[in-house]
Amino acid sequence: MSEPTRRGFEEAAECALEVRDLSFTYAGAEEPVLRDVSWRVPRGSFALLVGDTGSGKSTLLSLAKPQIAPAGEREGEVLVNGRPACGMDAAESARTVGYVFQNPDNQIVCESVWHEMAFGLENLGTPQDEMRRLVAETSYFFGIEDWFRCETDTLSGGRKQLLALASTLVMKPELLLLDEPTAQLDPIAEKNFLHALFRVNRELGCTVVVATHQPRAMLDYATCAFRLRDGSLAPVEDLPELDVRPRLLESVDGGRPGVRAELERAAAGAPAGRGSRRARAEQPAASVSRGWFRYGRDAAWVLRGIDLVVRPGAIHALVGGNGCGKSTLLSLLAGTRRLQRGAVARFTEAKALLPQDPRALFAEETVDDELMEWSGGGRYGRADVDDMLAHLGLVHAAALHPYDLSGGQQQLLALGKLLLVKPELLLLDEPTKGLDTASRRLMARALVWCRDHGVTVLMATHDLDFVNQVADDVSMVFDGQIACTQPSGEFFTGNVYYRP
Amino acid sequence: MPPADEHTAFDTAHPAVPAVYLAFTLAFTMFSFQPVLIALSLAGALAYGCCARGVRETLAGLRWQLPVVAVIALLNPIFSASGSTELFRLGVRAVYLESLCYGAAMGALFIASASWLRAAASLLSFDKVMALFGNAAPVIALMASMTMRLIPRFLRRGDAVLAAQRAVAVPGRTRGELVRERLRLSSVLMGWGMEDSLETADAMRARGWGGAPRRTTFSRYRFTRADAWALAGLLAGGAAVGLLAWAATSQYSFFPVMSRLVPWWGYVPYAAWMLLPAALHLCERRRFA
Repeated sequence: MSEPTRRGFEEAAECALEVRDLSFTYAGAEEPVLRDVSWRVPRGSFALLVGDTGSGKSTLLSLAKPQIAPAGEREGEVLVNGRPACGMDAAESARTVGYVFQNPDNQIVCESVWHEMAFGLENLGTPQDEMRRLVAETSYFFGIEDWFRCETDTLSGGRKQLLALASTLVMKPELLLLDEPTAQLDPIAEKNFLHALFRVNRELGCTVVVATHQPRAMLDYATCAFRLRDGSLAPVEDLPELDVRPRLLESVDGGRPGVRAELERAAAGAPAGRGSRRARAEQPAASVSRGWFRYGRDAAWVLRGIDLVVRPGAIHALVGGNGCGKSTLLSLLAGTRRLQRGAVARFTEAKALLPQDPRALFAEETVDDELMEWSGGGRYGRADVDDMLAHLGLVHAAALHPYDLSGGQQQLLALGKLLLVKPELLLLDEPTKGLDTASRRLMARALVWCRDHGVTVLMATHDLDFVNQVADDVSMVFDGQIACTQPSGEFFTGNVYYRP
Repeated sequence: MPPADEHTAFDTAHPAVPAVYLAFTLAFTMFSFQPVLIALSLAGALAYGCCARGVRETLAGLRWQLPVVAVIALLNPIFSASGSTELFRLGVRAVYLESLCYGAAMGALFIASASWLRAAASLLSFDKVMALFGNAAPVIALMASMTMRLIPRFLRRGDAVLAAQRAVAVPGRTRGELVRERLRLSSVLMGWGMEDSLETADAMRARGWGGAPRRTTFSRYRFTRADAWALAGLLAGGAAVGLLAWAATSQYSFFPVMSRLVPWWGYVPYAAWMLLPAALHLCERRRFA
């Protein structure tokens, strides 16, 4: 064996993952999504793979796992521990490369936690005694024993994701690939998950690769980072440079040119009856007074005499931990639930709620039909829909199925569908969950546009950065009541712990 | 509502033990058409119900069970007019005492079976059933486990979609449009579910699905010597009680005249069998009395 070749092998063995001149084109697509990507992830590292949605992060990761790799044309090599990834069969790949997906609900297979933990080992035909030992060990490592017998559906999103991680690690992989693992989690759950991941990396020596468009929370743990842009990969030399909070709006009072002008043009068909709204500007847009609410006869109170006043024509944010009652408040204001005591008042019947999962609003086969769904009876017409497609940036996607859009586009489509029926009170549940910077920007602009056209916006969110940049008023919900309501600037200067 | 008792009969046994017990008990109950045996079986089921679910819960169940017995008892004479003791005539049809009793016995048997099935749910929880099936048919066991997850998820999603539709005020939405939206619910849910299942399928493949020629099944229950003894005891006892029940049933008839019931030692083992879960439950509870 010649000297350079041997050195090549030795180097390859030091890399947990090595990609050589990899190009990939999806079946049916013309442009390659990856172009001559070369990438070396040293053994034992905690690597970040950053890039916007659609930059090919998931594609790149999944090519290291032949069982889930997409169909298409590929050139180049992917080596795991110096061995070609596509040469591994299902069992070997499961033992070598673990893969954790974004959605906590969809990647859980079984109905109970213990069964989920054993699922991978069962697939590998592991003998009973060894299976017991591995499941026990792993459950201790992740502190699962308290909820080992729970049903998976009763777990919080954070626990579900932790379970997904644990049930992958029970097979003792040496390389762990994670695709946006914390995009669906709230900030506290995200920190817990990342901490567990950090322990996996440092205590177990497992190589970790996380694909993400929001690297900020992970910078403390990462040892190296790579950026994927336009199909090519480059190392990020200076990790702290990823610690940025990108501006969502061009200027403080909302961006003027570009999108703004477009939106302005579409405003020809904007909500009617502005004059009457101004006349009522003195009274609140919506309010809850001394509201008490619980979900069942024997359930605990979720809201305990809550008082909330929403100023008309403002963007109002509700913040607070998981299960504090933010979403409940929205559904009360939307009229889908009723208070047991107290009163809800709305100045208008023209309300709309963007649910946490936008797919709850989709019923048609194409994006275009989706926007046309409520056009019956001359509520709005073809021209309004075309305008809406234009300023949602979805013209090229009009013929696609809504499910074929990215998460951000789905969110915008659902918002557009609601705006077409001209609501005066717009309620949003976690509008930026899982969105990348570009989509968050579009969402921010859309909300500012709504406000400027007299629509009152009330959103429940965990995204404090978004609140800081977009909202006018902030209410913190705690223990079934509003702990405080303040203009957003004051709110964040006053907070010591709770800040973006 | 007081919570159901966590620890019940056969709590510490391998699932095969309660499974065998329940199989015998349901068979005895359904095939012993003899008033005393039916009464004993019903008593056993209700006694266990009182222990495991609470007296009030069990009595509340009687609110629908007793009318069922009454309805079956009253309907039976109308469909089968046989017997010898005529009570009265309904038009041209005679109503006989024997028919009425036969119907009442049938109703009681129905309630007893239903109560035992109810008891089965707490004696043999779903994951125990899975543990029994798992070794024989790992794939079927897994499918059942996945289905158990999907159904409640589907229902929750349906609620979410309906709520999302209701939460939007579409000006002048007609009743027809609303009905059309409702009707589309199933196709929306189907599409959503399919989309999710693609990701679930990927997650399964990523964890080595189909990686080994034969799946194994993780079992939380071990079959011990105590379980073997318990099973042997149940099989022997079951066979003996079965013989007694068969003897009692074959000697009894409702028509043309109901056989006379006499005290008989054979009822004692049958009663003991039926009261076993209640007794075991009380023993379990006594430990912490």
